Amino acid sequence: MATVSVREVHKSFDDTAVIHGVSIDINDGEFLVLVGPSGCGKSTLLRMIAGLEDVNDGEIAIGDTVVNDMAPKARDVAMVFQNYALYPHMTVRQNMGFSLRLRREDKNLIRERVDSAAQILGLTNLLNRLPRQLSGGERQRVAMGRAIVRDPQVFLFDEPLSNLDAKLRVQMRTEIKALHQRLRTTSIYVTHDQVEAMTMAERIVVMNLGRVEQVGRPLDLYDRPANLFVAGFIGSPAMNFIEASGGAAGDAPAATADDGTALPLPPGARTGEGQPIVYGIRPEDLALSANGAGVEATVSVVEPTGSSTLVFCEMAGHEVCAEFKERHDFEPGETIRLMPRLESLHLFDRESGQRLGD
Amino acid sequence: MLSGLGKSLFGQPTGVPQARSKRKRLWFADAGFSIIAIFIALIFFFPIYWAVSNSLRAPADTFTVAGLGVPFLDFTPTLENWISQISTPEAANAFGNSLIISVCSVLIALALGLPAAYALARFRFKRIKNKDLTIWFLSQRVLPPVATAVPFFIVFSSLDMLDTHAALILVNATFILPFVVVIVRQTFQDLPIELEEAALVDGASHFIAFFRVAIPLALPAIAASALIMFAFAWNEYLFAVILTIKDSATMPVHIAGGVDSRGVQFWFVAVRSLIAMIPPVLIALFAQRYIVRGLTLGAVKG
Repeated sequence: MATVSVREVHKSFDDTAVIHGVSIDINDGEFLVLVGPSGCGKSTLLRMIAGLEDVNDGEIAIGDTVVNDMAPKARDVAMVFQNYALYPHMTVRQNMGFSLRLRREDKNLIRERVDSAAQILGLTNLLNRLPRQLSGGERQRVAMGRAIVRDPQVFLFDEPLSNLDAKLRVQMRTEIKALHQRLRTTSIYVTHDQVEAMTMAERIVVMNLGRVEQVGRPLDLYDRPANLFVAGFIGSPAMNFIEASGGAAGDAPAATADDGTALPLPPGARTGEGQPIVYGIRPEDLALSANGAGVEATVSVVEPTGSSTLVFCEMAGHEVCAEFKERHDFEPGETIRLMPRLESLHLFDRESGQRLGD
Repeated sequence: MLSGLGKSLFGQPTGVPQARSKRKRLWFADAGFSIIAIFIALIFFFPIYWAVSNSLRAPADTFTVAGLGVPFLDFTPTLENWISQISTPEAANAFGNSLIISVCSVLIALALGLPAAYALARFRFKRIKNKDLTIWFLSQRVLPPVATAVPFFIVFSSLDMLDTHAALILVNATFILPFVVVIVRQTFQDLPIELEEAALVDGASHFIAFFRVAIPLALPAIAASALIMFAFAWNEYLFAVILTIKDSATMPVHIAGGVDSRGVQFWFVAVRSLIAMIPPVLIALFAQRYIVRGLTLGAVKG
């Protein structure tokens, strides 16, 4: 186990810069998730840590050793690939023991280590099969097994669950988390799925366009996104954004949406009068208002999910989603009034995209 | 499309006659194809049949036989030609030379060509681009071989290497190298690169990843290219006839040598040709297993 630190790392392919100075410190034993839309540089960063891509500028250290110029095999990291990358011509046992065989470990030790990893992952009966005889979930487990038999300093996961079907993905998510709790090996996990990031991470790094947008614990990112990108990326359904301008302070401060609708602000909201802002509210923070307070909205689509009801409606000139715990049977075209929970409002500066206030 | 869907949804009765007529059409098509295939096969097999027939005839029967030259029917077969050929030391010598030269040149071409193919598939060369390097390998086959015949003769003559195995092995290896480079390079390119990356992270060097992961997975293509190269080297005549005199004469030279003052000895040419066919056919039968296995190996990728 080891810490990993990434300091001011830059990377470009030919003339295209893909990572512009990223710095991240990963603690010993931590489960860190790199999340971001495709093309944000998260996989490239992971491959640089593995040694599969060169670092153009900056430094990557595993433990106390700077590994920039080390071959992958010298770094003592294990990687799980998106398509599993199991060697098709080797059995499960040979696949899992390959790294130990390369290290010329004793045969009995290899057997022992593979057996115990197989037991942890429930692969004991499949050890003599070839990868093509396995289901997707089993292949995924073998890929994990190949990583854990080595007892490496760091685990690297490159979107390991994206080739699985939805049900298996949820199951494997839990298994990987349980495995980490058991082994406590420093892990870096790349995904574009923010639900995976939220559920698995101890800390999340949100990346966009080759830069780090925010680093923090999952619920911190959810409750206090640092900017518009993180606010829009974390959470499903996504946060609603309404462009507005700040209003005067007073007993009932309000912002004015671009179409003139008044949007309530919490008392003491620090927005300058007329300042262009983005008014952000999560779907579950919109409540039905019965007493005529709140903002008028026209229902367009109702999506019952069973556990909650998603109502998409037109509010202040924007498509807005509201999520209710109780069941509703609105007709399309019906007018309802929605009241934002003022304590859960997110206000952003429209120009810089940064979070405002508090 | 939609109407077809409707039929299959709303009742089999409409579907059944349709299927039957389709099957009927297929039956005719199959029969047609078979007839054409048999016809083509007859054309291709006839020379082999004729060689067999010729090899079983006494020299005097060569041109006097009636009809299709069916043994027992049109003439009395004899094994005399076979016996005299198999018992002459020249035949055994030529056969051995051909085997040594073909196998060694294939091995050299593989030893040089596989790393080259891998490097072209996986590394990016800066000063001379990969594409140009590949074309350069291919260019070995652009010049008509006869154009290099005299230079090669002079080179080997001054090296005192005429009529040696080494000379023909080197020449053949040069000419067959492009096959392995081009065929296997494509296969290496088609292998998921993650497999080798996984090996690198697992603790392998590029060399080990090449040997333990890339080569086993490319085996079908390697077998196929080895087969093509073997056939090429086995059949090579031009350089064999120029660079050899007697000691290292190969099968093709030996076959062509079936001429004496009375003309072509068709009976001996037939026997020698048939003997020369045996190794490539055996190798093809053996390699077939690997090539077919290559088709199923692709199923793993998904």
